[in-house]
Amino acid sequence: MSVESRGLFDDLSLTNDRLRTIALYAGLYGMAFLFLIPYWYMFATSFMTRDLVYSEVPYLIPWEMTLYWYDYLLTNSLIVQWTVNTLILAGVTTVVVVLIDAMIAYSLTRLDWPGRRAIFAVIVASFMVPGIVNLVPVYIIVSELGLVNSVWGVVLPSAANPLGVFMLVQFFKDIPEELEEAARLDGFSRLRIFTHIVLPLMRSALAALGLFIFIWTWNAFVWPLLIFQNDAMYTLPIGLVTLQDNLGVTEPGVIMTSAVVASVPLLLVFLVMQKHLVRAVEMQGTTK
Amino acid sequence: MAQATQQTDANADESGLVDLSQSWVRELIAGGTFALPYLLIAGTFLFGPLLLALYMSLHDWNALDPAQSQFIGFENYQVLLSDPDFWNALRNTVYFVVLTVPPIVVGSLFLALGVNRDVKGQWLLRTIFFSPYVLTVAVVGLLWTEIFSASGLVPYYVGGGNWLTSHSLAMPAIAIATIWWQLAFNFIILLAARQNVSDRLYEAAKLDGASTWRMMRDITIPQMQNPLIFVVIVTFVGSFQVFGQPFIMTNGGPSFSTTTIVLYLYDTAFTGRQFGYAAAVGYVLFMILIAVSATSYYFLGGDNR
Repeated sequence: MSVESRGLFDDLSLTNDRLRTIALYAGLYGMAFLFLIPYWYMFATSFMTRDLVYSEVPYLIPWEMTLYWYDYLLTNSLIVQWTVNTLILAGVTTVVVVLIDAMIAYSLTRLDWPGRRAIFAVIVASFMVPGIVNLVPVYIIVSELGLVNSVWGVVLPSAANPLGVFMLVQFFKDIPEELEEAARLDGFSRLRIFTHIVLPLMRSALAALGLFIFIWTWNAFVWPLLIFQNDAMYTLPIGLVTLQDNLGVTEPGVIMTSAVVASVPLLLVFLVMQKHLVRAVEMQGTTK
Repeated sequence: MAQATQQTDANADESGLVDLSQSWVRELIAGGTFALPYLLIAGTFLFGPLLLALYMSLHDWNALDPAQSQFIGFENYQVLLSDPDFWNALRNTVYFVVLTVPPIVVGSLFLALGVNRDVKGQWLLRTIFFSPYVLTVAVVGLLWTEIFSASGLVPYYVGGGNWLTSHSLAMPAIAIATIWWQLAFNFIILLAARQNVSDRLYEAAKLDGASTWRMMRDITIPQMQNPLIFVVIVTFVGSFQVFGQPFIMTNGGPSFSTTTIVLYLYDTAFTGRQFGYAAAVGYVLFMILIAVSATSYYFLGGDNR
């Protein structure tokens, strides 16, 4: 295959083996270090005293620690309320999306009805539609339906998730025919097959999708920004951004602390459920 | 209903003759019932709006009283083409795409290939590179605003003053924040893709004495072609639609140097209340995205090697 390249590179690569390993480690851990600096800066700043935050030198080590900013945020903002709102919104959306996507994925893969192929093709095509084209018309529809300032105004527009359908269809296809056949002979209805056989069998795929939807909704920005118009309804991302304006001068201490509060729950979920999340992302990679 | 269904189905399955027409209808009813919630919601919030957007873009849309809207044909599109603000936004967006797509694609590829090697602390590295994926754009935007602000890390150690108020540095600052944030997704996709390449190919190549570089060129890249195309297109499409980062970090400034298309669309719609015009901007962006996806697919030779 590579006779000519052999003479050129063989000796070179052997002698350079150690050097290469060193370069690989230096490159990877150097990048990892760079990647961590923003996190470190965020956490460190949130514990710094006012003097340190406003010093000429941007310190990276809070050698005078305080919980002042956390205290300040709790008493001067609705951050607890926003966290609760975000949790509810993400929870409701996750349940709705997983259920609706699982139902149609089941219908498309396990039931044989005319037109299902065409519908599947349309759904696949629809994830090429950038959400932004729909920004204005969906806003109009949502406001016509009287859903501005309501949780459903955010949940419903994201409830029909084409990516989720596509991911689940790949998995539902692989359920063995015989299992379903046997259940039918035992007198199971379609609904019972769905709830008692398909859903339990697909637990891990559903969990991966659910986790992905949860994180995605927790972080959603554009829709909540448009739909929630009073600060008691804000989600964390919207609340954070408005903090800048509402508390007057931008206080780096407040900003960094609110960023910590908004991201720590998800970073913890991420550390615990990393396997599922990686799987959900990998599922997306195989969708094209 | 479902209870009654199963009896006949069982019969039909066994004989293959009983009541075919009826079981066909039943399948349709059952299939339709399971599909209905999705189809209803997708119709209302996905497909319906897509048509509504097209309809709106052909009208001088009256935000207060839609019934008063005037049909004006392609006038919105014509106005758009001679609108310097639109061209400015398009230029800024293309600049942002150029600043972000190559580093994200190449960077995530190199990190994925590196982490895939037999390195110590693989799990730790993967966790670190993937972690920004779970951050909201609000956190990313605010965090990097502090880093680039006058008293932040970057001006102190790198220089340049407050990057976000500088005409030439604001967009690069937004791009750096975006690269840090968006590398994660592509990194995981490419890491998985690399792990799917059969080891046997490398063993055979090693026996032939192929160099690392050559193995990368002749095995790794071709074998990962489809995931790479996926990553390129997704990154392109994502970068073209950038909104949150400039909205939070600069609000389009200084002097509109970071106003991207979506930011422009958002402002025209929700500040200027020009819904019809904004819908036209949306459709133009949509067409650009389709063209970009098709072009990258074509040039990267998807599925046909």
